[in-house]
Amino acid sequence: MNEKKQTTRALGRHIVQSPPEVSFCAGCSACEIVCSLVHDGVVGHAYSRIFVNKGTRSMVSTIYSCQHCLDHPCYEACPRKDQAMCLDENGIVYINEEHCIGCKRCIKACVFDPPRINYVHSKDKTKRKAKKCDLCRTRPEGPACIEFCQVSCLGLSKSENSD
Amino acid sequence: MAELYGYVGKIARINLTDQTVSIIPTTNYVPKYIGGRSIANKIFWDEVGPGVKAFDPENKIIYMTGPTTATGIPTGGRTVFTTISPNSLPEQYAWSGIGGDFGAEVKFAGFDGFIIEGKAKEPTYLFIEDGDIKFLSARNLWGKLVHATQSKLEEIHGQDVKSVVIGPAGENLVRNASVTTSNDNVAAKAGLGAVFGSKNLKAITVRGRGTVIPANIPKVLELRKKMAEPSMAPRPVVHETHHGIPGTEKPVPGGWKRAQVACSYGCNQHCMCLMLGMKSAFGEEKVNHVEKCVSIVAFGFEEDVPYGGPGGPGGIFQTEQNHYLACKLLSREVDPPDTSDPYFEQQFTPGPGDVLNFWKHDFEKGSVINDLCNEYGIDKWDVLIWLLPWLSMGKKEGVFDEIDLGMEIDVESEEFIKHLMDIIVYRKGYYGDLLAEGMARAIRVLGKEKFGDTIYHGRYSRQINKRLDLPISLETAWGHSVHWQGRGFEASIAKPAWVATNLHQMTSTRDTQTIQHHHDTFENYLELKDDPCRSPLTAQAVIMGENKAEIKDSVTCCDWQSPNLFWPDMEAQMFEAATGIPMTEEELNIAAERSRLLFRAITIRNYGRARELEVNAIFPIMQYPDPWGETVTWEEWNDLVDLYYEQRGYDKETGWPTRATYEKYGLKDVADELEALGKLPPAKK
Ligand code: SF4
Ligand code: SF4
Ligand code: SF4
Repeated sequence: MNEKKQTTRALGRHIVQSPPEVSFCAGCSACEIVCSLVHDGVVGHAYSRIFVNKGTRSMVSTIYSCQHCLDHPCYEACPRKDQAMCLDENGIVYINEEHCIGCKRCIKACVFDPPRINYVHSKDKTKRKAKKCDLCRTRPEGPACIEFCQVSCLGLSKSENSD
Repeated sequence: MAELYGYVGKIARINLTDQTVSIIPTTNYVPKYIGGRSIANKIFWDEVGPGVKAFDPENKIIYMTGPTTATGIPTGGRTVFTTISPNSLPEQYAWSGIGGDFGAEVKFAGFDGFIIEGKAKEPTYLFIEDGDIKFLSARNLWGKLVHATQSKLEEIHGQDVKSVVIGPAGENLVRNASVTTSNDNVAAKAGLGAVFGSKNLKAITVRGRGTVIPANIPKVLELRKKMAEPSMAPRPVVHETHHGIPGTEKPVPGGWKRAQVACSYGCNQHCMCLMLGMKSAFGEEKVNHVEKCVSIVAFGFEEDVPYGGPGGPGGIFQTEQNHYLACKLLSREVDPPDTSDPYFEQQFTPGPGDVLNFWKHDFEKGSVINDLCNEYGIDKWDVLIWLLPWLSMGKKEGVFDEIDLGMEIDVESEEFIKHLMDIIVYRKGYYGDLLAEGMARAIRVLGKEKFGDTIYHGRYSRQINKRLDLPISLETAWGHSVHWQGRGFEASIAKPAWVATNLHQMTSTRDTQTIQHHHDTFENYLELKDDPCRSPLTAQAVIMGENKAEIKDSVTCCDWQSPNLFWPDMEAQMFEAATGIPMTEEELNIAAERSRLLFRAITIRNYGRARELEVNAIFPIMQYPDPWGETVTWEEWNDLVDLYYEQRGYDKETGWPTRATYEKYGLKDVADELEALGKLPPAKK
């Protein structure tokens, strides 16, 4: 994993993957699928706010999603800040897609590698949208990826900065 | 309908000879043909007539996803290839399921499936990206092992592509060559790898950025929680100290590490045992590989799978309290049986399997054998249940004294097995070339009486404490090896079950038990057990199993979750959630009957399938005793076949479906064509 430069960064609560001694990711992609289903009603790589990186030969999978940095550089970089990239009362950065112009600045500003913001390409410029984990903030049951992980290898970090 | 749910709407016809692509709307076939294998059967019936051989350019590779593929409905990631199988004897139309992420990616790229035709002039692979299909040179891939091919394609096109590839076995037209995904899922049963090779097709690589839209998302989420009761509990990597078929495990020096992974995109199970840090056949570096089902015997094959009673391993005869899925067995997640079941005592009567003494337990050697099969791209069943047991048994019976394979025949030796696989895969020498033709053909060339039918004296039944006969070649109908058929491997099932599995096999063109494990209720078992060949319930359960197999390869779902006898409309619910098209269990069964009839019609029209042919194909293997010393008589078997044909709506004399049967399922045109060919039974007065 290539978590460039940011190991000491202050992070908010975010989705974490258990180490293999606790639970080994089955590589089933359910987290990606339910994430896009509950948000967009579709299944497709560009619509998931969480990514499963599957090792072709190893079959060992690594999960990537937004780390909810407390200084949220993606939010700061958004030219439509507070309309497209928004911050809720709990400090969660989320995207209000109606206002997202698909400029990709948030993606460039993400300090992680790979960047934790997904992107829907479209010939129609008005349909280009960034997709980012919002911790399922409006979903009463909480994060869908955690709920539907068949081996419970996803969870919420306990507190800021922990994993 | 403005928006298409479940399906993505296009089937690509890809011609390798002239490098052209045309598009067929999926709605030409659905919903009448559901998806998956049903569409493939229809296409094959329409497009490939008699006389075409497996390696002819006129043979087609039909690949189909199902309406549930990539919708988030568990098991929908399973998809199906069909073709004329070079590994069936005679060559016949057959099919093979495959998991992995490939099918989902095909749909994200905008296709429900492909029809691949013709033959490329030189090594070629298809690169498919969002509706665009390119024919690229595979010169730099040709000769590469399976994983090296997968890696090279990722290097060229990016890590997010999904590929199915062949290894050297497919390139060299080894008849049991497989097609492999990036996570060691294979389409192995229909010799598909060799058909790819015959078309100079090394791989299909796909990237899809599109979407698949299920009609009913709350229902999809409900199915995720409900189908096969996913454990939703942590599954850590486990340090194992032993390895082997449950009940026969042997210690492994230093132990080994096991994890569990899902086989297909979006499944809610983790059936595949991932063996971590295993010995490779090709280098010092340790590899991870998947053990699913048969690969377990690579590590040691001294005794057969134990008997568990009528409700035992495989869960053939089930009650509501005690029925579990084979995949749960492989993921080591089976709960202890529910003892409150009134039938508990009768259901579970464990006992040991036959002593076979094919080869001793050797963990490292087992890993090497599996790695050889994975990397060359070759069907493990043929190697582990046929080739190697044949060499083991034949050597002990002295049949190979005149044969020089270039090294002393010794299935206990890792070096010998590496040598053996090398001469077969690269067709080296007379015997390498011959064995590459597959066991059924090789044995006929060598002389079946000596090289097939010689009796092995090393089989010992611990059910009746007696030595029992077994032929050195574990062959069943249609050029495939035995599977849950009462003798050979997974033989520890009693007659009421094995007459059924053999009936499944009789009407097939390939090994069926990998795709339609036989199931029935325990209550039926109590009624049929004393004379299973004379009970209509046996035929009824086989028909249910055959239809469910059509459904699962069409909707699509997985053999290890379907059928669920206690949730019979599960597949209808899956179909409806994916497509939004109302569907009942009965309607889905009608579609399955239709698909099955097309399959039957193909075998009748193209390969002369008829009663005499199929009864004679299956009968011989059942003349060897099961672990209790039981066989079936000609009269018994024919009585069962009568019952089956009758219930199917086939003419009993010929085994051909009647006009009324075809017409009942909307296939009048099929009946007309068969009638013109003289392949419709005479109408009854
Ligand atoms: S918490 Fe919700 S938004 Fe974030 S990755 Fe999981 S499912 Fe997607
Ligand atoms: S749902 Fe869980 S097991 Fe499946 S890919 Fe995601 S993290 Fe891995
Ligand atoms: S149930 Fe198991 S074998 Fe079937 S699709 Fe799911 S993971 Fe694969």
